[in-house]
Parts: sequence; structure tokens; C-alpha cells
Amino acid sequence: MQIAEPLLIAIEELSKLPSIGKKTAQRLALHLLKSNTEDVDSLVNAIKDLKTKIHFCSRCFNLATEELCEVCKSSKRDHSLICVVEEASDVIAIEKTHEFNGVYHVLGGVLSPLTGIGPDSLKIKDLLKRFEDEEIKEILLALNPDTEGETTTLYLAKLIKPLGIKITRIARGLPIGGDLEFADEATIGRAVLGRISL
Amino acid sequence: MILSSVKLKNFRSHKETKLIFSERLNYIVGGNGQGKTSILESIYYLCTTKSINSNFDGEVVRFNENELEIIGSFKDYSNSEARISYFLNSNKKIYFLNGKHITRAADIIGKFPVVILTPTDHSITQGAPGERRKFVDSVISQASETYLKNLLDYNKTLRQKASLLAQLKETKNKTLFDELDAWNSKMIASGKEIIIHRLKFIRKFKDFIKDSFKVILNDDEIPGVEYMFLEGLSQEENIEDIFFKLLHKRKDDEIRRGSNLVGPHRDDFVFKINDVDLKTYGSQGQHKTFQVVLRFAQFFYLKEITGKAPIFLLDDVFGELDAKRSIRISEYLRQVGQAFITLTDFTDFSFLQKEDDDLVIKLNNGQVVYA
Ligand SMILES: [Zn+2]
Repeated sequence: MQIAEPLLIAIEELSKLPSIGKKTAQRLALHLLKSNTEDVDSLVNAIKDLKTKIHFCSRCFNLATEELCEVCKSSKRDHSLICVVEEASDVIAIEKTHEFNGVYHVLGGVLSPLTGIGPDSLKIKDLLKRFEDEEIKEILLALNPDTEGETTTLYLAKLIKPLGIKITRIARGLPIGGDLEFADEATIGRAVLGRISL
Repeated sequence: MILSSVKLKNFRSHKETKLIFSERLNYIVGGNGQGKTSILESIYYLCTTKSINSNFDGEVVRFNENELEIIGSFKDYSNSEARISYFLNSNKKIYFLNGKHITRAADIIGKFPVVILTPTDHSITQGAPGERRKFVDSVISQASETYLKNLLDYNKTLRQKASLLAQLKETKNKTLFDELDAWNSKMIASGKEIIIHRLKFIRKFKDFIKDSFKVILNDDEIPGVEYMFLEGLSQEENIEDIFFKLLHKRKDDEIRRGSNLVGPHRDDFVFKINDVDLKTYGSQGQHKTFQVVLRFAQFFYLKEITGKAPIFLLDDVFGELDAKRSIRISEYLRQVGQAFITLTDFTDFSFLQKEDDDLVIKLNNGQVVYA
């Protein structure tokens, strides 16, 4: 059977998305083909806007539509308390709990010599710079409690300690080896509230 | 836990074999190459999803076949049916528990606890320290999920740190040294948990060894086991401090060799009889007896900790033992409940008292005969 080339290309592109197999991609492509033009246009625009309108906050590397993200811009947040997380998705997870009123710093990963990720590949220098530029009183380390997350926490704690800033970490409410992103909101909420000093 | 029956398809030499078991002792009798050991192997495979003697599952698939299947019926508080299939072509394994597809191996492991004694156990008492750590780690892991997770975490830390040590060998800069400090701290944090858990385990397991030893030997000899960690420690002292100092002392060595030289991955366990080191001074008979003792101790330890009697598999247990010890072991098995014991030829073992509930299963050229 001969399949029209635009359809083939659409299936090919869709199947590049995470957890989308060839079969699902084909179903999605055929669904789009049957949808009305308006719906398809707004999906195309939404995807385009994602790339053109969203970038990383210049201060905390959270997702932002302007120079600074919504959290960094807000005057209602406590700017003396920084919560350090691995990825922007962790900011979303913590924000959903409404338990945290400080600001964030997104590291963009954790230490992992095996995959070639050292301190220089992470936004660690940028974090240290913030201690000079801003009035920081407390830093809350909220990395995933897995092997690499724990080690990065230890690394940061030792690095920041001489600066005389209060360092806390989220309490071990999270299951060992569990991802912050997939823990339920109540668990993350409890973990943020019950932070402990390092 | 009782295994009432198994059905094997294309497992090793078994094309299609169906076996119904006794809730007491099951003697599986046959000459060499009749597939008696593979029956124990298949039970182990079904309980753990892993093959005992090979790293590659393809090895247990019958020659010229693609798909193996094992179905087992278990009886506990309720009945359950487990089914495992392995496909050689795609190197894929599928597990069903009571008709439900299980995707995580963690959901099976520990569900059907199993203890297996095989002739390769000689390496536990006679081999390198790694063989003893493997034995101890497997027993604790069967009883404690926390320990297993800790062990996986520690091993990951070792791999990460080894990679960093290799980088440090190439370029020595301040950032890398700071990072090494962090990985060492992590190593101490999770390594300490492993050491404390092993110490606690050995203290308890020692009594199980003593009990089993007494039943099998019934003389004045007293067995012992000692845990040696962090280059010669055997008592719970300031583990963190000592670990830290050792890592500091061996730092240059570790960088030069690019590998982890200090920590619980280098520990050893010393088995003793009357305070004499078994590994160095033990006779063949003492070694074999100790290996049997360790498996009985494992069985009763797991039974007490998990509240579930493991499935006990004994491959050629009487092989190298004298009649006196063999009789004691066969009597001891009465306390176990259900067990599976392979024998080369039943007539050689006239000392075995077969009771009415026991079952003798004879394998001969693919035929199964119950006696
Ligand atoms: Zn921001």
C-alpha cells in the first residue's frame, strides 16, 4: 500500500516524542488529518510558542516567558530563601503543593562522572554568584534522594557552608530512589515543610 | 510456602514435563543427564526470575527451541499460579502471577523465597571473599528490602567514584578533588549503613549456624563466624571516622589505580570451628558440612524473619558426606517441611527413611515415575 508522503513524515515526527510508539503516532496523525483546520492551527501555534516564547529565567533557570520567571518577579515571595532543584519540572511539582514561598534555583542536573556531568556542567557558579548579588539567608536543597542527588547535596553543602548561610535539605519523606517529579503532592509538601539543617 | 506442582516446557533437557509434589520431602532420582538438577533450576528460575548457573537465559532454553515456559502452583494462605516465559529470539521474559502481567522484577523477588544448596557452594567457604559477601548479601537482601536498596545505592556510588578517579588520573584540578570529597562522603554514608546491617545480621545469624551445626554434627565442636570490615575491624566502633581516615590515607593510591580500595565491597567473613579458621585449616568433610549448615541456617533464618518457610532445594547434598552425617541431615529435613532433594540413585541411600508423605520421583529417558 502506498502511503502519502506528508502522512509518513507526520508519523515519523510524532514517533520521536517520548512514550509514543509507531502505532500511536499513526493514530495521532490520522486523528489530526480528520480534525478541523482551526484545531490543528492552534496545536501548531501552541508548539511553536513553546519554543519561541519560553526560555530560561536569567536568574534561577526556571522556565520563563520574559527575562525573569514568574517566581523571581513576584514581590510576594521570600527572596532570601532559595530552593535548589534538579530540573524545572521539580519547580512545577513543588509549586503545586503551595507550601513553599521562597524562590528557586534550577541546577539542570546532578553530578554524574559516568555520564560526564561535573560541577561545571551545572548552574553551580551561577548559584554562588547569587550569594554575592542577593540577600540570601537560607538555602534549601531539594534534590532527588537517589545516589547522584544525595552526592550533589553533599557537594553543595560543603561548598556553601563557609559562606555562613543557613543550609537545610528536604526531610526524607520521599521514598529512597524516588523521583521528586513523580512523588505525590502531599509527600512533597511534607518534605518541604519538614526540612532539616545540614 | 508449598509448591504443589510445576510444568516445564523446553527448559534445559525437558521438552514437556509435569510434576506433582508432596508437601513433605521430594526425592528426585535419576542418573547423570536425566535432568534432575534442571528441575531444581527451573523452580529457582520461577521463584527469582533468574537462572542460577548462567548469566544468559538463552542457555537454559532446550536445544533448537525458542520459547521456554515454567508454570508453578503455590500454596500459602491462598493459592497462586506463577508463569514465566522466556523467548530466545527477542531475549524477552514475561511473568504472570495469577493471570496478571507483572512488569517489575521487584514485585516477584521475595514473593517466593527460595534457598538452594548446590555443589558450587564450595566457593562460599573455600573461595575468595567476594563469594562470602555474595552469600551474606543475598541472605540479608531476601529479608530486608532496605538493605537491598542500600546495596544498589552503594554499588552505584562505587561506579560513579571509579569514573571520577579515572578522570583524576588524567587531570588533577581543585574542582575534581572537591567532587571526590563529595563522593567519598556519600560512600561513607551508605557504606556505614551496610556495615551496621551486616554486623547486626552476623550477630543473629551466628546462633542459626550454631543450631544447625549442632543438629548435623552433635559433638563438641563449636562453629563461629566473624565479620571483618574496613581493613581489620570486627567490632562496631567509630565507623564513620575510621572509614574517613582510610579513604584519606588511600586517596593517592585510589587515584593512581583508578579504583575503589576501601569500603564494605572489600569486606570478608571468617568461618571458624573451635576458633580455628575453616578456610585455612578445614578438612574437605568440614567444609562440606559447613556449606550444608549455612544453607540450613539461611532457611531457618529467613523463615523466622519473613514468617514464611522458603522453598528448600538441595542438589546432591549427600554426595561427599559420610553415612552418619547424611542420616542426620535427612532427619533434619523433617523439620523443614517441604524440600526438594536430588539423588543420583536411591538405592545408594538406604539410610534414608522414606515416610508415607514423602515422594520419590524417578526420571528416566524423559519418563517420570512416582514411587
Ligand atoms: Zn527565576
